[in-house]
Amino acid sequence: MSELAKTPIFDEHVTLGGKMVPFAGFEMPVQYKNGALKEYTFVREGGAGLFDITHMGQVRVAGADALAFLQYVTTNDVSKLAEGQVHYSALLNDAGTFIDDITTYKISDREYYLCINAANRHKDVAHLLQQAAAFDVQVSDESDDTTLLALQGAAAQAALQPLLESDLESIGYYKFAQVSIAGRNSIISRTGYTGEDGFEIYIPNAIAVEVWQKLLANGAEPIGLAARDMLRTEMGYALYGHEISDAVTPVEAKLMWITKLDKGDFIGKAAVEARRAEGAHQRLIAIKLTERGIPREHYKVFANGVETGEITSGMFSPMAGGVALAYVKPEHAESAPLTVEIRGKAVPAERTTLPFVRSNVRR
Amino acid sequence: MTIPADLKYTKDHEWVRIEGDIATFGISDHAQEALGDIVFVELPEIGRTIDAGEAYAVVESVKAVSDVYAPVAGEVIEVNEELEGEPEKVNSDAYGAGWIAKVKMSGETLELMSDDEYTTFLEE
Repeated sequence: MSELAKTPIFDEHVTLGGKMVPFAGFEMPVQYKNGALKEYTFVREGGAGLFDITHMGQVRVAGADALAFLQYVTTNDVSKLAEGQVHYSALLNDAGTFIDDITTYKISDREYYLCINAANRHKDVAHLLQQAAAFDVQVSDESDDTTLLALQGAAAQAALQPLLESDLESIGYYKFAQVSIAGRNSIISRTGYTGEDGFEIYIPNAIAVEVWQKLLANGAEPIGLAARDMLRTEMGYALYGHEISDAVTPVEAKLMWITKLDKGDFIGKAAVEARRAEGAHQRLIAIKLTERGIPREHYKVFANGVETGEITSGMFSPMAGGVALAYVKPEHAESAPLTVEIRGKAVPAERTTLPFVRSNVRR
Repeated sequence: MTIPADLKYTKDHEWVRIEGDIATFGISDHAQEALGDIVFVELPEIGRTIDAGEAYAVVESVKAVSDVYAPVAGEVIEVNEELEGEPEKVNSDAYGAGWIAKVKMSGETLELMSDDEYTTFLEE
């Protein structure tokens, strides 16, 4: 095992009582001293939760062919992005399965910014560099220089505004602005992974601790990975390695809404079209236990008493109870009574709709 | 962290209170703190016979599922049903309202530690 990396915020986490665990090659806080449930509640009930998500990667794509390149390597339609707009997208391989899910930021016609998953960073960058050879484009991995903070919850804007001269009110949902924080170029987007209003803040490492401390002074509270996973699962947001992986295509993962088959050729398109014609091999569904219990990842799901699939993410939701995302056989996605096997017992479950709890993002 | 003097402890961080032939089980303050917020407790059925060291209950925190092992053998005569609605009592009052089950002892026990021995065990 190689040594775990530390983010610029590491010492702050320790000071705040963060319980540090290995995560995607980094030592990250799974929770702080108040515990995951209180952190979760703080974000859901009007606070401003501050997350260090510096483990995630950032890639800048610049050059005359930047648009053509991204149209070819990502699934969403980059030509529809306006300057200052962000969208959710994915990198597929030739088999149409996921290399990663990403967000794409349009800075200008010649310059874009991608946010990628920590665990996939080196794989993504190698893939992008390889594909870039055929385009007039520069691909730069800026992950090591960039600190990424998420500030999520109804009070996020009030906690962040004092650090800025520009008005955050002008940044709409899935929009971003290039701003100056402490005299340094930064990017702020109204995006997140919690279902609450809030921001993701890309800053140079040099001002990471200063910004972290200022946000805490403005009433934000630190939130660890455990609460982050609760918040994203309640929204039904996919997580790489769980709902999406190199074993499923967007057809299975319910991500055809970010896969634009009408935009021209892109890597994986032919395979996705073939899979759509053939039919999904499995389908992602949202379920809720109707008796006590907590559905967890890898627990088996049964339809009419016969095994049909397994849970990819599951949790105890303080608001919705035992809820989970699961892949099941296509013929069981719509009907047939479901149970989840928990320690050898069949616990009944019903299909439900996402999100599991109400989303408060600003539309 | 508290370690009451009137209880015995196991290496798996369970506690047991022995009064006559009745033993009350729970998990130690150290265990609840290590697990984090407990959100579910699966209790044993009344009348079940359990061996010393057998997994008799399950506690689930936000992130983990953990078996709870019986410090002594016996027949389950009472369970703390309040934990079904308020599992967080295991966190807030591990040695009191967070008790898990009571058994009528049948003799066999695990190696049990006094409070002082458990304190030393935790420091090692």
